[in-house]
Amino acid sequence: MFRKLQSVRLFLLIGLLLSIIYAGYGIYYKIRYWGFSFQPNQMTDVWTVEANISFEPTGDPIRVSISRPINTGSFKILDENIIAPRYQVQKDSKRIILSSSPRQKNQNIYYRVLLYDNVAEKKGIKDDKPHKVDIPLWDEQRKAVAYTILDRSKAQEGDRVQQIIRLLSQTPPDETVLAFMPERKSLKETADVICDLLAFERIPVHIVRGVRLEKDKKAFKSDVMIEAYLDSQWIIYNIETGEKGLPKDFIIFQRGGNSLVDVEGGENSLTRFSVMKSLTSSFNMAEHRAKTAHQEKLFAYSMYSLPLSEQNSLKWLMIFPLAILVVVVMRNMVGLKTMGTFTPMLIAMALVETGFVAGLVCFSIIVIIGLLIRAGLSRLNLLLVPRISAVVIFVILMIQIFTILGYHFHWDIASSALFFPIIIMAWIIERASIIWEEEGLKNAGKEVFFSVVVAVFTYFIIVNDYIRHIMFAFSELNLVLLFIVMLLGTYTGYRLTELIRFAPLSRSRKE
Amino acid sequence: MFEKWRFWATPSELKAAGVLGMNRRNFEIIAQHNKRRLYPLVDNKVLTKQLARQVGIQTPNLIGVIESQHQVRQFLSLVKGHKDFVIKPAQGSGGKGVLVIKSYTQNHFRTASQRVLRFSEVYQHISNILSGLYSLGGKYDVAVFEELVHFSTMFQDYSFQGIPDVRIIVYQGYPVLAMMRLATRESGGRANLHQGAVGVGIDIQTGKAIAAVQHNRPVRYHPDTGKDLFSLQVPFWREHLEIASKGYDMTHLGYLGADIVLDRELGPMMLELNARPGLAIQIANQSGLQNALRRIDSLPSKSANYIDRVNAVLDRATDKNSDAFILK
Ligand SMILES: Nc1ncnc2c1ncn2[C@@H]1O[C@H](COP(=O)(O)OP(=O)(O)O)[C@@H](O)[C@H]1O
Ligand SMILES: [Mg+2]
Repeated sequence: MFRKLQSVRLFLLIGLLLSIIYAGYGIYYKIRYWGFSFQPNQMTDVWTVEANISFEPTGDPIRVSISRPINTGSFKILDENIIAPRYQVQKDSKRIILSSSPRQKNQNIYYRVLLYDNVAEKKGIKDDKPHKVDIPLWDEQRKAVAYTILDRSKAQEGDRVQQIIRLLSQTPPDETVLAFMPERKSLKETADVICDLLAFERIPVHIVRGVRLEKDKKAFKSDVMIEAYLDSQWIIYNIETGEKGLPKDFIIFQRGGNSLVDVEGGENSLTRFSVMKSLTSSFNMAEHRAKTAHQEKLFAYSMYSLPLSEQNSLKWLMIFPLAILVVVVMRNMVGLKTMGTFTPMLIAMALVETGFVAGLVCFSIIVIIGLLIRAGLSRLNLLLVPRISAVVIFVILMIQIFTILGYHFHWDIASSALFFPIIIMAWIIERASIIWEEEGLKNAGKEVFFSVVVAVFTYFIIVNDYIRHIMFAFSELNLVLLFIVMLLGTYTGYRLTELIRFAPLSRSRKE
Repeated sequence: MFEKWRFWATPSELKAAGVLGMNRRNFEIIAQHNKRRLYPLVDNKVLTKQLARQVGIQTPNLIGVIESQHQVRQFLSLVKGHKDFVIKPAQGSGGKGVLVIKSYTQNHFRTASQRVLRFSEVYQHISNILSGLYSLGGKYDVAVFEELVHFSTMFQDYSFQGIPDVRIIVYQGYPVLAMMRLATRESGGRANLHQGAVGVGIDIQTGKAIAAVQHNRPVRYHPDTGKDLFSLQVPFWREHLEIASKGYDMTHLGYLGADIVLDRELGPMMLELNARPGLAIQIANQSGLQNALRRIDSLPSKSANYIDRVNAVLDRATDKNSDAFILK
């Protein structure tokens, strides 16, 4: 029996050793050829903007035209690539044109640009002279309303453009404005109205489309601003606030013109953008480095060449083995008793979404209210399954109420309720209340408390930028973790809590 | 001076004291000596009772079993003719869901802890048992009705309500460590150490108390009755050991805990067997399990006969020479 244990350990130790060697080489390789580093966000303001264009072919020849980012000087394009299998690609300075013979299946095209903040050479947008402005061809009634609005806008502050924008975005909305444009409108619609109104004033204006860089944005439409020619220069305005000037984090894809992406030979076309900062960007840098080092094959099959949304999800997954290790250590080496094996991990995941303090407070409130409700339920003497189900429903209702309250009163604490896994919460409540009934409040509290302690530990690990970066960039470390976890499974030494629990035994011996 | 306040022990100190830790218990003792397929024998109290009868272990008589919800309403007719009875989940553990009814009428049921339950509450309790509330993994279960053990008045003042039971750890058929668990007011009449019951270490050869703890701390007197715990002497000690040792013949579990209670008229009876007995018994005995297990491991041959095994354990105390022989 003893020998058996030894051979299992030996086997796992060899595995661990091999995995360490493998991980070591992996890390060396990635640093050497792909330029990965241990530092997260090393190239801080490197951004990847990805547009995902999907459409259903109509059966006609396909032609997709995509706007390219305009070099305003504030950002520099490091790389640009297109994933569009078997399309013919043509580029000019403004647009990329993909064409193909008719196709059948739904098409998905990815256009990805890698940009970095070009602090050194900031310069204005190149001024090109505006065309002559034509007044929109409207019926008299609509024209009259437009003139009223223009008149009224003079009461607002700022230049002409700002005055109009501010009037339009006033809350509560101006009555004339309401008659003029729909109450719920897209940014594009608002921008169109502003452009039309400015045309009456003979101010040259056009829509500017682009992407505002925010960390880990996923699946959104392009952002819209307008640009007007005032005092013989082009000025960019925020169409909601009227604020002047190009925001630091705005990438212009198009000035004037109709749309960022035109699809011919396809219908129901949909363009979604996603933005990712730093880490992945440095991975995109890696692609260049891989190419120059002639290591691109391997890179192509690594997770760093996947589409961004997949990478984001994987980045999240890659941290879990470490979280699992924490749970194993806490239970088998420290000896903390937690509710359910992985409950603390799930709580920790929720805390990442909710923010630490808000999440903890919200969690406690849900559990406490849940316990009170559960105490009431146990008087009703319901059967087990219906009772747990009732607790689940109560938790759902509670989360609903919290979320509504949180939204209206801007209580972060309440709105974080949405992120806690419902079944887990119900299970914690049910278990805690049973322990309460069977072993007293103290034991119940203790178990919930320890679960939260382990959750907090786990939280601080998975929320740490360094650790997240390292586990994602050097994911072969997870193999090492696997063997460590298995080796811990053969740990037969004392648990930390046992050193306290059995302390009287060592003392009585000495006396 | 600092030593005096130290509330922890170092691993090497525990090792020297022969303390068995949870990890080692799971990995080296339970995993190696208790085959998984044997667990159902002790995890199901009805089955345990049947097996116990076959090897001649006395257990509280089975009154009946309720297996489905629609039988629950008629539970009174099941216990007809019994003054008192106990309801428990067949697959329960740790005393969960055990209801001890000392006396009852049509609508009032008085429990051992002097609570009075209404019919609907008892009904509910049985119903909960069936739906698996108290059972391992929440599986559907059956409710076992058995006769109440009228515990010997001998232990009257040693326990606050509740019935004191003796837990004996049996390793490869040899009883190695024993303790008695005494209910307190704090433990709510239950004999569960982590609820605040008192654990009294019992000398395996003599049945005499050797140490006592509550909440991991040594105690001398029962916190509620004030009785001197060290005066405790379990009668019919040999019978206790025999029951425990037979538990091995019955299950072939190499590491098991036998729970034995003393009935006023019927003598020692086995309440249940446990395939994963806890480690608190070491604290109650103020002595580690590891040494005791080693001693059995080093026996030159192990006997297939429970009488021989019990003799081996008892002899050690009376005859120093044979002790040396066994320990060789
Ligand atoms: N027949 C009985 N008569 C009196 N008390 C009993 C009886 N059965 C159980 N009990 C009480 O309930 C406790 C738990 O019962 P037990 O059969 O050991 O179930 P568990 O497996 O849940 O520990 C015992 O320690 C004892 O105090
Ligand atoms: Mg028991």
